[in-house]
Amino acid sequence: MNWFGFGFNAFGQIAAHDKLIKREGSAAEEVKVVIPTDIGRHVDECEGGTGCKVNIYRKNSRIKASWSRRASLHSEGDGCLCVTSAGFGAGVSGVSVLEESRGCRDALICERHLTLAFPDRTELWSLEQNDKTLIWSMEIKPEAETTGPPLKLPLVPGGYVATKLPFYRSLSPQLRAVSLALGAEHAVLLSATGAVYTWGLGSHGQLGHGGLTSEEEPRAVEALWGMPMSCVATGGWHSACISAGGDLYMWGWNESGQLGLPSQTLRKEQQRRNKQPAVNRDASSSACKEQQEGEKQEEVFISIQAFPALLDIPESCEFSTVSCGSRHTAAVTTTGDLYTWGWGEYGQLGHRTLLSSDEPQCVDFFKEKGVCVVDVVCGAWNTFAAVAKEEVVQS
Amino acid sequence: MTALWSKISAVLPLNEAQFPLQFTDKVESSVVDVLKRSRQQLYGDASSASRVLNAQIILDISWEKLNTGTWRDVDKEWRRVYSYGCLFKVAALCREDPSPETIQQAIRTCDMGLLMGAAIMDNILHVLIQILQVEVKKDAAEEPQTEHVLSKKAKMESPHVPVIKPTMAVPRIKCPSLESFKTNYLLPLRPVVLEGVIDHWPALNEHPWSIEYLRSVAGCRTVPVELGSRYTDEEWSQTLMTVGEFIDQYILTKDGVKDVGYLAQHQLFDQIPGLREDIRIPDYCCLGEGDEDDITVNAWFGPGGTVSPLHQDPQHNFLAQVVGSKYIRLYSPEDTDKLYPHQSQLLHNTSQVEVENPDEERFPGFAEAPYQECVLQPGDVLFIPVRHWHYVRSLQLSFSVSFWWS
Repeated sequence: MNWFGFGFNAFGQIAAHDKLIKREGSAAEEVKVVIPTDIGRHVDECEGGTGCKVNIYRKNSRIKASWSRRASLHSEGDGCLCVTSAGFGAGVSGVSVLEESRGCRDALICERHLTLAFPDRTELWSLEQNDKTLIWSMEIKPEAETTGPPLKLPLVPGGYVATKLPFYRSLSPQLRAVSLALGAEHAVLLSATGAVYTWGLGSHGQLGHGGLTSEEEPRAVEALWGMPMSCVATGGWHSACISAGGDLYMWGWNESGQLGLPSQTLRKEQQRRNKQPAVNRDASSSACKEQQEGEKQEEVFISIQAFPALLDIPESCEFSTVSCGSRHTAAVTTTGDLYTWGWGEYGQLGHRTLLSSDEPQCVDFFKEKGVCVVDVVCGAWNTFAAVAKEEVVQS
Repeated sequence: MTALWSKISAVLPLNEAQFPLQFTDKVESSVVDVLKRSRQQLYGDASSASRVLNAQIILDISWEKLNTGTWRDVDKEWRRVYSYGCLFKVAALCREDPSPETIQQAIRTCDMGLLMGAAIMDNILHVLIQILQVEVKKDAAEEPQTEHVLSKKAKMESPHVPVIKPTMAVPRIKCPSLESFKTNYLLPLRPVVLEGVIDHWPALNEHPWSIEYLRSVAGCRTVPVELGSRYTDEEWSQTLMTVGEFIDQYILTKDGVKDVGYLAQHQLFDQIPGLREDIRIPDYCCLGEGDEDDITVNAWFGPGGTVSPLHQDPQHNFLAQVVGSKYIRLYSPEDTDKLYPHQSQLLHNTSQVEVENPDEERFPGFAEAPYQECVLQPGDVLFIPVRHWHYVRSLQLSFSVSFWWS
């Protein structure tokens, strides 16, 4: 499995800056990576804790991303080793191995902290200062985990780890949580039964209950009742889930087209862009344009979608996984295609432009290479896609 | 170095060491890193594209924070970060001989900082705007003066002026003493139209607020505008545009009937200190318990036909009419049960009834609610006691100033 990254790179979280500069040489190029870039190639070697060079690029790595950082989890025996991007303006050795993570099972990164899940404890490490500090930890009693696969962060036995105080919050065992996604101010939970629960701030429709009010406690999204879901995700102000049948449902704020629904902001930008070179156009084409604009007036735009809406894409396809950035969305189909939509000004959609899109578009880069995308993880303003390289090339 | 850049750099700190960037731990260190990078670029070498890009990162991340949670709960630190983003962007835009369009963009950036950010570095965004506005005026002076502005006529509605029934008219009184206003109106919470108390305002004398005057003082400034005739309508929305664009699109008649736009409930006088000098805080506000700084001054500028649906506010209000006239209807808070307020949290201070065209079947009690009414003319000031329900419709091009106080 190979990971590619694209989008926001001001902190070198996709590729260390001077490597990009060598390639293109422009400041914008290093901050905004518009062409999916193999991150394995850029982090294959770094200084280990003992000073010897260790090869830290391994198969089956997992990626976690925050606004400014990326953490790669590399399998190592029974546990994992966490490697993080070093921070703003990072140079050649733009990564650092976190020795304290050795043996962890899972990790989660947010702007301030790195959460590490070990079999017997959960630890929260501060990322605010250069020196690593353990700021919180919780023991896990051996009997707490009985059956089923180990919980994925932010879930921990009995509850979950939040990004601000209090770090531990309990969840009712009746919810039978198997997956939890935390947005800027809301949470989406997937239960073992396939039901979806949401709570937190509802100001942008991100809870999916049809209103804009907040919920203190997990509340089932009734509109999805009876349709078991297999995957949930949250962005800053939007939410997504995939049904067992591969349908993708989304709700919340559509400010940049992140729900794949018509966005007025994007349409206005489009019109402004179209107007600028219009000077050279002949009369007939401008008349045609006016007519089109007249038609567009009829168009219904969605700013807030307070109930789950089925994502409608022309090609019939089933989705296997979805991830959300703060204002964009990326989803992988069962046939190995990656689709992205929403905010694109940092190149996070991977379409080799800096444009936003309110229509899901296939990321051609991977198709052209003949590789299958198998997983996707969004940072706030960037996207990381995993490809299963050999399979397709050899067949 | 261009003349503009030397003027701008003259108001910036001398060097990096004297440029403050202090934030509480609400602001993540990664964001502070980007701020520091922008500061370094301000005094060092960097491409213009790189400067703008870095400033945009600051604006984009703080914009997300400003939209996280409710506006009230957004930490002021993030509003400061947003203002710094604006400052760095303006500096980046104006560094190399900027085009008039770029200067306009820089002014807009400053205004966004004033609208959404918090004051930084002794209100440096105000200082920058003053410098930039001089540039715009220079450019405008070079262009031949066209008459098109004056030849266009302001939108003159054929206003449906309601006849005020004498029994229901709000009482009028000329320049009462503080004591008499307090005893007869403030303490018993009785509405009254005060006459002659703003006659000394420059807005009614030296600088009469004509369209041309407003355009010259504020034409290039970005302000929030409400679109749609009333804020309870489904299609109602808010947008940002310059005062000049607002005048052209919504105040001056072009062809046929256009949509209604209203520069409403905006603290324009904090944003444009030049206009603030044309008005005065009414003396009667000293009868309140709050400081003068606690008084909220709002501008209400729009064509004839703008409607503020029947609603109530949590403070006393002096509504001063500067230009044009407005019809106003008042209901006492005692009759709230006859006014059918909206149920939702957001609109619970607003009545569901269309005052001048009530649905008597849905709101049978409304007709029984006693009311008072008046037409405000230039120079009139209406005292609306706290929680008194009021409905306002402009009868022609109108500019009012409201003072909320307690």
